[in-house]
Order: sequence, then structure tokens, then C-alpha cells
Amino acid sequence: MLTLCQLFSCEKLIELDGNPPTYITNQQLFADSATVMSAVAGVYSYSQSRGFGFSDANLTIATGLSSDELSVVDNNSYFAQFYSYTLTPWSSGIIGLWNYPYQAIYRVNDILEGVTGNPRISESLAKQITGEMKVVRALYYFYLVNQFGGVPLVTSTDFEHNAKLPRSSVETIYTYIRTDLQDAVNNLSADYPSAGRVRPNRYTAKALLSKVNLYLGDWQMAYDEADDIIVSPLYSFADVPLRAVFLEESEEAIWQLPVKTSYRQTDEAQTFIPNSGAVPRYLVTSFLLDQFENGDQRLLEWIGETTVNDTHYRYPYKYKNKSASEVPTENYMIFRLGEMILTRAEAAAHLNNLDQAIKDINVVRKRAGLLEIPMDERSQEDVLDAVMKERQTELCFEWGNRWFDLKRNVTDASSASTVLHTHKSGYKPTSNLYPIPQAQRDLNNLLEQNKGYN
Amino acid sequence: MRLTLIILITTLLQVRATALAQHITIHKKDVTLKYALKEVRRQSGFNLFYDGKIITDKQKIDVDIDHVTINQALEVILRNTGLKYEMKGSNIAITKSQTRPSKPIILGEMAQIVITGLVLDESRKPLVDATVQVKHGEKVTKTNADGRFYLDGIRDGETLVISFVGYGNREISAAKDLGAIQLIPLDKTVDEVQVIGYGSESKRFSVGAVSSVSAETIERQPVTNPLSALQGQVAGLAVTPSNGVPGSTVMLQVRGQNTLGTTLQAKPYDQPLFIIDGVPFAPQNVNINLLNNLATAQSYNGGISQPTGLSPFNSINPKDIESISILKDAAATSIYGSQGANGVVLITTKKGQAGETKLDVSVNTQFNSAAKPVRFLNTQQYLQLRREAYTADGLSPSDDPGDYNGFAPDLMLYDQDKYTDWAAIIAGKMTNNTDVHATLSGGSPSTTFLISGGYTQSNYNYPGNFSDKRMTFHSALNNTSSDQRFKLGLVADYGYDRNTSARYGGAQSMVLPPNLPDLIDDSGALVWNYKGIPLNVENFYGSLMRPVYLQNYNFNGSLHLSYTLLPGLTLGTNAGYSRNNSIERSENPARSQDPTFAEASAAFGDNVNQSINIEPQLNYEFYTGKGEWTALVGGTYRKMSNDAYQVEGYGYANDNFLGSIIGASTTYPSERKNLFKYIAGFARLKYIHDHKYILEVSGRRDGSSNFGPGRQFGNFGSAGGGWIFSEEAAIKKNLPLLSYGKLSASYGTTGGDASKAYSYQALYQNISGVLPFQNVRPTYAYNLYNPNFSWSTKRSLNVAMDIGLYGNALNLNATYYRNRQGDQLVDMPLPAQTGFPVVFGNLDALVQNQGWEFTIESTNVKKENFSWNSTFNITFNRNKLLDFPDLASSSYASKYIIGQPTSIIMGYRYKGVNPETGLYEFYDKDGNATHTPKAGNANTGGDQVPIGHMDVKYMGGLANNLSYKNWGLFIFCQFSSSYSPNYLAALYSTDYPGGPTNQPSEILGRYWKNPGDHSLLQRLGSSYASGSLYTIPPFTQSEAVYGDNTYLRIKTVSLSYTFPEKLLQKIGVSTGNIYMNGQNLLTFTNYKVGDPEQPGTFTALPLQRIVALGVNLKF
Repeated sequence: MLTLCQLFSCEKLIELDGNPPTYITNQQLFADSATVMSAVAGVYSYSQSRGFGFSDANLTIATGLSSDELSVVDNNSYFAQFYSYTLTPWSSGIIGLWNYPYQAIYRVNDILEGVTGNPRISESLAKQITGEMKVVRALYYFYLVNQFGGVPLVTSTDFEHNAKLPRSSVETIYTYIRTDLQDAVNNLSADYPSAGRVRPNRYTAKALLSKVNLYLGDWQMAYDEADDIIVSPLYSFADVPLRAVFLEESEEAIWQLPVKTSYRQTDEAQTFIPNSGAVPRYLVTSFLLDQFENGDQRLLEWIGETTVNDTHYRYPYKYKNKSASEVPTENYMIFRLGEMILTRAEAAAHLNNLDQAIKDINVVRKRAGLLEIPMDERSQEDVLDAVMKERQTELCFEWGNRWFDLKRNVTDASSASTVLHTHKSGYKPTSNLYPIPQAQRDLNNLLEQNKGYN
Repeated sequence: MRLTLIILITTLLQVRATALAQHITIHKKDVTLKYALKEVRRQSGFNLFYDGKIITDKQKIDVDIDHVTINQALEVILRNTGLKYEMKGSNIAITKSQTRPSKPIILGEMAQIVITGLVLDESRKPLVDATVQVKHGEKVTKTNADGRFYLDGIRDGETLVISFVGYGNREISAAKDLGAIQLIPLDKTVDEVQVIGYGSESKRFSVGAVSSVSAETIERQPVTNPLSALQGQVAGLAVTPSNGVPGSTVMLQVRGQNTLGTTLQAKPYDQPLFIIDGVPFAPQNVNINLLNNLATAQSYNGGISQPTGLSPFNSINPKDIESISILKDAAATSIYGSQGANGVVLITTKKGQAGETKLDVSVNTQFNSAAKPVRFLNTQQYLQLRREAYTADGLSPSDDPGDYNGFAPDLMLYDQDKYTDWAAIIAGKMTNNTDVHATLSGGSPSTTFLISGGYTQSNYNYPGNFSDKRMTFHSALNNTSSDQRFKLGLVADYGYDRNTSARYGGAQSMVLPPNLPDLIDDSGALVWNYKGIPLNVENFYGSLMRPVYLQNYNFNGSLHLSYTLLPGLTLGTNAGYSRNNSIERSENPARSQDPTFAEASAAFGDNVNQSINIEPQLNYEFYTGKGEWTALVGGTYRKMSNDAYQVEGYGYANDNFLGSIIGASTTYPSERKNLFKYIAGFARLKYIHDHKYILEVSGRRDGSSNFGPGRQFGNFGSAGGGWIFSEEAAIKKNLPLLSYGKLSASYGTTGGDASKAYSYQALYQNISGVLPFQNVRPTYAYNLYNPNFSWSTKRSLNVAMDIGLYGNALNLNATYYRNRQGDQLVDMPLPAQTGFPVVFGNLDALVQNQGWEFTIESTNVKKENFSWNSTFNITFNRNKLLDFPDLASSSYASKYIIGQPTSIIMGYRYKGVNPETGLYEFYDKDGNATHTPKAGNANTGGDQVPIGHMDVKYMGGLANNLSYKNWGLFIFCQFSSSYSPNYLAALYSTDYPGGPTNQPSEILGRYWKNPGDHSLLQRLGSSYASGSLYTIPPFTQSEAVYGDNTYLRIKTVSLSYTFPEKLLQKIGVSTGNIYMNGQNLLTFTNYKVGDPEQPGTFTALPLQRIVALGVNLKF
């Protein structure tokens, strides 16, 4: 048989082409700048549960329910567990919050490995891509660490190594995030690399860096980074009308992703806007509604209202367009100037620069159609409470800001233990972190569970 | 080996016709024998074959011939060389003259005679159409209507072989008047010829573990999927139906699970290799649909990790199958090398029989209903349960959607008296199926044909206009040349299946609240909210308006050519092509959706599986003294491909455009292409000595494109032996009861290549379903890079004992086997932090399956008017993870334990419902009671311990076949016992008692209400606001949701009546019968609520009870 085999040259008979028609290989992908860009597009592109890990509205729903922003009408849906603090390690609601960021982090790490020292990619492009990817990676880790606490720090594509990583400490993750962002700030230019504001520039890196420093209590750094962005002529706030904040052309945007598909726009709009004549699935809580002062235009522009059987129901309405045919197009906002202004305000208050803090608060209030708060003698605590209240109304339903602000314990009055104990039942300090999915712990027994979960 | 080579090469070169240049002239002195023979070949144009060993360059001769015939020339040349020649057509074989027991034919000196004879059966009745053949010659004839035959031109003393189907061959020396020759019927159980890999063999001399299921057994079962007909029939073969949807998949597994799982949740299920008429079935047993339909929408997939859906075998009519052989051990499967690790299923289709052209028509109509329907609560019971749940939670039901804790529309808003029995709507319908099949067959002794056509319509007992319609065409043509040397067999089958189903929905809606407001209004429009409150359910009637059409076209063609080069030596080729194509369309019309955001969309799929298979083979049968040799050498070239194309279209302006992609304003295509190329050489040698001792070796070397360079080739082989001790004189003398006894054993290797194309590279794909990002089409990584994988290897031991008693009226088979599969080639699960759920590669783990199989076949009564046969089989398989280095640090650490079955369940030990708290209680690893056991294995600090395993403990079947005069009765019972999920697992799978979904009425009065109660279920919970639900996750992972699941199912009852021949002849019918076949008629089980074959669920579309009434006529 061997003889026969030699006669026919067996290897030839089972030879396949270099790649199947539907796939390309690693070497083919990193062969030139154009195909590398297709992998970069893979990191930003939106599709349900596949592309950009946070665009499926689940982060907004989960954190909105966990905080005091939203309630869910269907108290039997698994999202209800976020509201009632009855999550378990088996809850299906947490699976995507954990898994999708890691899918994306793999793609980022893969691109970083593919462009680093690759002679076929120009140095400037490699630098640009490296900066962008590090912003993306830092963003994912920032949200992982704020939802779950310390998480495995995956920085390569080596699955054998990565599969056995335990959770790193919160500090280690934050250190890594800061290093990534500092590299990104150094690598990226002030200009956006492509049309619109859909790929990070230097200010995008700074926006996240500012947020990170704010969360870590490094007030001066938070202040400085936010300040850099606010003074940049690229961005406007006061001139952007409330109803234009989330549009594709928004000048307030620091980073926003195009998410429109052929038939729909943001998942937020899809999820929150009720069908006509129907009660919304997610209702804005009375606690949040009560925070809007009389005349606050944000209540009119950003909170929807529908009436069913003579009862009024309120729902999140920052994103207004469900279907692709509705104009204008909305992009999914990641960072905007309003948040930076409030970040600077909070940092300033902590730095005892209360005047600056109040000025910033008033910029935000003014656009909302509210009276400015007077610059009279206020304690630092009062100013901080005012910042937190403004954050609550300005940044509601955006990127878990409210839930994370409550957990940060900025002031006693605005801390989770005060607010959630008052408003809701079932809250425990251990509710601050979501459980690590048990399925993941089964696959990696080095992953320790958060306190309060079995 | 060299002989083979020479023959092969000579054959390849030989095209030249015999010019019959019979005048050979050679005048040479002291030339080599080889030279002289070469000269004969050159001058005559005849082909000469010889083994290089028997003629050396040292043999020199003098030749002096002038214008002589080839016979004379060879006589002269071979004189005094100890060699002889045989002539067949234009081929001449030269062999050593003493090695051949039979005499050379071409002597020409003996007188030619005319012979006559009469062939009789055991009761001395004439046998019509028996074959009478010259053993090493070309002459052949058949007996006439009186059983007589005539043959002329036969030499006295030449050996004749007389054969007839079902009878043993008889060899006899030719003489003028042979008188009456009686043939002895073969013992059906012992001498049955069964199909094996690359051939067939008598069971008597088999050393491999092979089981066959005959057409008779298959036809009695009113099933549409031929795989369903195997359930319980074969020891060692597990058959798992996925659900009751017509056309849905049926999984097979031979002798247990050999590989580790891909996920920690679902049970992996190895599938055997499927071969139809020698050609690998292109789709194998993988579902053929790309799009979702009712078969995929079932919440239950048998608990196994294979995707379920529509079965490719649905395009094959069980009535066209002659036999199905299951090859189980290495002796039988090694010849399939790397593809045989999970066993091989050989399906052989029907072929024509020589004789009058016959028409065989069978028509039946079937009535289907749920085999084991489940009863749910009525409205009063349901509402009572809900109210009690609120009371238990200390909450008040409210009609305010803003009242998170209390909002209960079913209690506060919906009509409290409305009652809809959803289970009855969804699966309560009795359906009517139709099956028609006609066969035309016949032929002459040299050419036979068979063509058949079938039509089967299966309706869903799901409401709506859904059905599965199948049309099949089968044809077989066989021809043998008049000299019996050239044989041709052609099979061409075409099947068409049209499945109409719904896009999603399915039986899960059985648990909708019984007082749910109407989902459809008087005008037939769908209702999406009730008084403004969204009905948080999938609108069941909306799902019925989303049709999915699947059309499956299945072609199986095979061509078998063979040519007998020399007596016993046959060169042949099997070539075949199998193509299975599914074309699908799925419509999601706007009118089936909530009008406030309706988006008409459609999806289209085209899934093509193809396999091309070419297998040249050389068979050689020869005799040495008392020895009988069978040798086979062959090669395989195979190419299998899967091309799946799918496109989704959105933005249709009008629902009526949904039939075409053209109307979509946006399309999202996606594509999958897999190509597998395979090459192999294989050989088998079998030696039977004195009808007593059997020795068999086989092997295969194969190469697969699924592996990276340098890892493509592997070697597999087996050796087996048998001893028919009943042939020993001492045993014959001392144990007269024993009519047959065989001890056989085999050991060998097979491999697994896991059929995954291209995976040794790091691949990236364009993802469909997304718009380009700034005009760039996004690319994502498809897999993790892991190039270093290769075959998994299975080592199998098989020891069997066969006993026949009382003249084989009672036959027993006992088999012990032990399979060990190492170098596991699997999709290894990975934690999500790696970015991927799995990586494909080898795992240094060893899984063992060992077990016992027993089969008993018995003829209980055999009288003229009454006969009764029984068969019984039972299998005990034990699975064990033998070895797994680094298990503790692998991703499998929480799932497997060395020394335990791979279906082990890690869970909590269950204490019961605490009578005081009313909540489920468990034991922690130290034996203390707790409501909150810790997740994870005991060895990593958790409280989970092994609580059982889900392997089948034993399974089998019992068949009784009775006939009395014109009546026939066949009763087949199938049984199985395992530890499996019970219905309590399903109670909490999507919801919980007290929540807003319906429950089986079984739970009434069985839940905790007051302190001191001892109950099965814990207290009710009204919603996630309830403080009682935290015990649910541990409960569903505890012993409480598993239990013994033993059942005995009256799988098939077939009652038939054959009309008296006289009556039929008047209307031109030769034979005819009417029958009633029943499937899944009655089940005896300790399994509660639902079907024991669908354990752990009560919301899957139930398996069907079928009663078929039919008539069968032969013209």
C-alpha cells in the first residue's frame, strides 16, 4: 500500500487551498494596512451580542435597575433580579456582561499582537491602531471592574495562559487601565483618525482617563484631563440643544459609535420606547422623576411619557429613533462633553475649588433650562451633593453612571447605602458587585466569587 | 504483495484485445523462462500473470516451436518447470502446479458430456430457479419450474456448484445423470449473510461484532425515519429521538460515549459513521436545516449537545432498505480507520430478484397523537396557586405596572373565568398520516432490476397547516456477464422532502397562563396587549403565521463494477456520489408582528452536502488444503464538502414579497464552506481452517486534510480470531444438544478525526449581519490558534461467545467489550476570559466504555399452522474516565472525576423541604443542612459532590413474532433504565410554581404551605421579589431533580392477515395482506409527568403514538 501511495503521491490528494473561501488566515489578515483595518472595524462594529460588547442596552438596563433609575414591569423576567438584588451566580442576566467584554478584549489583544513590530504595517498606522485599541481595552476593563470588582487581566491571545488566570485585584486592573490610557494619550493625535467621532482620538483617551481618576479619587488628574477636553475647540456643550445631544452630528460627542443597521437604530430606543398604547417594559422610577426640578427641560426631552388607561408611564427617551427610517440618525454615545464638565465639577469640589464646581454645574443646568445655583457660601459637601444630583439627572441611563456614582460613596447623602436603603428593599452592601457567573467558575476554578453570593 | 502489484499493473496496461495470433514461433536456446513467456505474450497478445517468486532468472530453457497454438507453446515452455497455466479469456495465469487443489480446466482430453439433474428442497419439493454452475468455468444454468436442469459441454468429474437463496451451496462432481440433489436450508440465525465493511460474510464465521436489522423488522414499524426503526433492536446501540416534530433528528450511539464534552452543561453524543450502499452519506447524521423551525425550537434536544433539527435520514424511505448493519468492534470497524471510532452503520438498499416481474404495493394511513400527554392546571387551580404565592410572599397582587413587587395582571386584570387548555391546543390534535409505496422488480438470471417509489405525508399535531411530505425513488440494476466474470451494480436513489413548519414558537407555550386574554381577536388579528398591558409572551398565533419551508433533495448513487481476473481473484471498484441539498425559506411577515414596530423579513438557506467516494478493491479467495483464504486490498479516495449559504432580507415593503430575496431593501448573507479530503489504503486477510478456526487481520492507513502538515496520516488495525468448538469431534459426540458454538475475540485500533475542516489554522471571517464600519467590512477572529492536533485513538477489545442449541432453535450470544479512547480530539471548553468558548485540540484523557451484550434468538414453536419466535437483547454499558492528567487544573475540573463515568452529575445532596422555613434544604460537604450551599466542587471548597451519572444502566428489546395460519402478530417492547432528570427539573427551568406560568397538575397539594408541613416542593414564590427563590438554583443542581427512569415501552405491535391465495388469484393478485401497525402504544414506567424518552421536560413537542392501518398487495 505504501508503494501505491507513493505512486499516487497521497499528500497531493488531500491538499487543500491555503484558506477556505470564507476565512482568511492570521498571516493574510496582518499582511497589509487595509486588511488590518477590517479587523479594527471588527472591534468597533455593532451587532447584537457580537460586536462592541456594550451596545446591546443590557448594561443600561442592568445598572438602571440595580440603581434607582428604572423598574421593570415584568417582575418575572430575569432582569428583575437586578432590581430586587436577587442575582445569583446562575442568573442569565450577568452572562453577557462578563462574556462579551472578554470576546472584545481578545480581538483587541490579537490586533495589538498583529501590528506590534509588524514590518508590513507602517509605523504611524501601527501607532495609531495601538492607541485606539488601548482605549478600547481600557474601556472594557473599566466596566468589568466596576461591575464585578477585580477580574482576570488578559493581555495576550495565549489561551493556555489566559484560561488559568485568577482574578486580579481592583488596583492591578486600574493600574493597567491607566497605563493603557497613558500610552493611548501618547500615541493618539488630537484629530480623529477618520470621519466623525467614531474612532478614539487623544481626547477620547483623556476622557476615560479623567473618569478613571475621578473614580479613584485622584482629583487633580481627573480635573486636568477633563479640563483639557473642555477647553478644546473640538467640542461644544451649551450650543448643543438637548434633543441633538445623541445625534450622529453631535458636537458634544467625544466618542460615539454608529449603530444603525438597515432596519433599526440604537438598542436603547428599541428596548425602552413602548409600543403605542402599551405600558413600557421599563419604567423610570419616581425617585428619579422627583430629582428633576420644575422646568427641567431634560424631563421633557429625555424622559418619555405614555398614557394607558388614564395612567401616565415614564420611560427613558434619550434615544428616540427605533427604526432606520427615522431621521436624523442617532449614534450610540460613549463619552460626551457634559460628563466631562460634571467630572471637572466634582474634581474641583473635592479640590475645594467650589467656585469652579458651581460654575460647571451651572453650565449644565443652564442648558437644561434651570436657574443657576448661586455662588454663595456652601459647604464642600453641599456642592458635592449638587454635583451628584446634576449627574443623576444629566447622565441618567448612560453607561451605568448612576449605579457607579451611588457605589462610589461620594457623599453620605448620595451613597448607595443611604439612597437604596431608603428607596428599595433587598439592597445589601454586597449587592454592589454582581456575581461572577458560576459557569465561568466551573471552567476556571481559580475565579473566586464575590462576597454575598454562593 | 508483489503478485498483487504485478496483477494490478498488468491490468492497468491491459486494454489490447486478443488478436488471437495463435501462431507462436520461438527458436532459442538457453533463454530464461521469463524471456520465453514474454515472447509468448508479445506474439499472442494474451496477458500473462505470475508471481515473481515462482519464476527466477536462473531458470533457463531451450525452446524450439514453429507456428503452434498458444496452448502448445505453453505446454512446451512449462514442461518440467513444476508450473502450470490456466486460461481465462485472454488472460493466462501461471502458478505452481501442486498448490491448486482443483484440476486445471483446459486439458481438452476429457470427454464432454451433457448432464441433467433435479434440485429439491429439504421436504423434497422441487426448487425453481436454483443456480447450477461450473465451479471454475463459465457455464451456468438455472433449474426450471420442475426443478430440473440441463448443461452440456461439461467434462466428466468437473465440480458443479448448486446454489439457492437461503440454502447452503452444494458441490457435486459432474456426471451424466445426477439424479435428485437435495439442498439443505441454511440456519437463518447462524448462517445468515450479513453486510460488513467492504463485503459480506456468514455470521457463522464472523469474528467481528456486527448486528443486522432486516427489512422485515424495519417495515413493521410505522416510522418515517429509518433510524427510529433501530430502537431497541440492536444490543449496544442507543437511539435517542429528539422530539415529536415530523422529520426531526434521531441520534444513534454505539457502545457509549467515547469523547469528552464540549460544554459542561449538555451531554456529548458521539455519532457513528453512516454509509449507504458503500458511499458515506454526505450529510451524515447532522441536521440539514440552516434556519430555525419547529424542530429546532423545542426547548428539549434530548439533553445532548448535538444541534437538533430536521434529519437527513428523513429523505430515505425505510421501505427501500434491505438491511442495516451496525459495526461495533475494532475487527469490524478498523477497516474504516480514522472514521470508525464511533462505530459504523451500513445501510444496504433493496436489489431486484431474478424472476417474473412483480409489483408490490403498500398503502397505509396513520393516526398520531401524543404518546404521553401532560395535564396542566385549569384556571381555577392556577389562580389559586398564584394567590397562595402572593400570600406566601407577604405581598398583595396589584394592577399597577409601576408596583414592581405586586403587579399581577393575571390575577388583577385578566378575566378570572377564562380557560384555555394550551397543551391541548398545541399538542392535543390527532393527525392523519399517509404512506404509499410501490415496488416493481424482476429480471433474468443475468440482469435484475428494482424500482420503487414512495410517498409519505406526516402532519404535525401542532396546530396550523404544517406537514412533512416525502417522495422517494429507489432503483437498482444488477448485471452479470454470461461468463459470470463481469458484474455491475448500479443504485440510484432520489428523495424529496418538503417540510412546512413554523419559524419559532413550539411547545413551550403550553405553560401560558390558562386565563391569558385572547391572543387573537374576532377579526383574526393578533393581540399584543390587554388594556395597554403588554402580554409578555411570544404570541403563539403570531408564531403560526411565520412559516418555514424546507425542501430537501437527496441523491445517493453508487456504481459497483467487478471483474474476475482469475478464479477467486476479483478486481472491482465501488464509486459513489451522495448529495443532499436543502433549500429553505423562512418568512416573518409584518402581520405576524406587533404593528407598532413590524419589520417584514425573510431568510433563505441553501445547504449542500456532497461526498464523492472511489474505492478500488482487489479480492482474492483461495483454498489451501482445509484452509479457506479471503484477502482484500483496496484504496479509498474521498472528498466530502459542505457548502451552506444563507441570506437574510429585511425591509420588505409588503408581506407578499417575502417569497423572494429581491424585495428586501437590505440583505445579510452568510456562508460556510467545509472541505474534507481523505485518502486511504486498506487490507484484510481472513483465514478459516477446517470450518473451525478463524483468523482475521485488517488494517488501514489513512490521511485526512483536517490535520496540519505532518500530522495527516495515521495507521489503524485489528486482529481477531474465532474457534467454532461445536465442530470439534469430542464436543459433537458429548454435547449433542449443542448445534453451534463459537468463541471469538478481537483487538484493534480505530481513530477519530472529529471532522473539522481547516481548524489547524488561525482563521478570520467577515461577519454578516452588520453594516460596514465606515465602508470597511469588519473581520473577526473565528477560532483560537492551535495547530498541533491529530487523531484520537480508540483501542477496542471484543470477546464473544455464540451458542446454538436444539438444532439452533435457541441461539445465544454473549459479548464482552472494552473500548478505550485516548488523545481525545474535542472542542475543549474554555472560560470566556480567553475570548472563545472552546478550542479544538487533543486532550490527554482516556475514556473507557466496557460492557456486556446479550442476545437470544429462539424458535419456540414451529408447526405447520403456528410458529412463534422470540428475540431478546440487553446491554449493560459502563463508562469511566480512566485517566486525565492535570484534570484538576483544566477547564473540566468541575465536571469530571477520574474513575467515574463521563456523564457524572456534580450537584448538591438534597435534604428536603425544611418543615419550618418551607424552603429547600441541602447538605453541605460536611453534612450540615443549609439553604445556601456553596457552588463548586467539594475539592475546591464548594459543596457539590457526585450525585449520580446519566449513563444508561441497561437497555434492550424483546420481540415476539407469532403466526397462525394467515395471521401474523409481532410485538416489540423496548426498555431502558437510567438515572435522569425528572419533571421537577423542568418545573424550574424557565419559571417556578407560583410565578405567572402554568404548571403540571401533578404539583397540586404537593407544595409547602404551613410550618410543620412535609412536602415535595418548597413554598410558592410570586415573582423575583419573593424571598424564596434563592434556593432554586441549588435545587435544580441537586439530587432532587434526578431520579430513576426505567421504562418498558410497547414500541411496535404489528398485526397482519394474509388473504387466501385462491381468493386473490381471481383478482390477479399473487399475495396480499392487511395490517395494523402501532408504535409507542403503551408505556410502563416510574417516570412521572411527561415522556420517559424526553426526561426533564414537559414542554417539548411529545413523541408520537402511531396507529397505522394498511394493505399490501403483490401482483
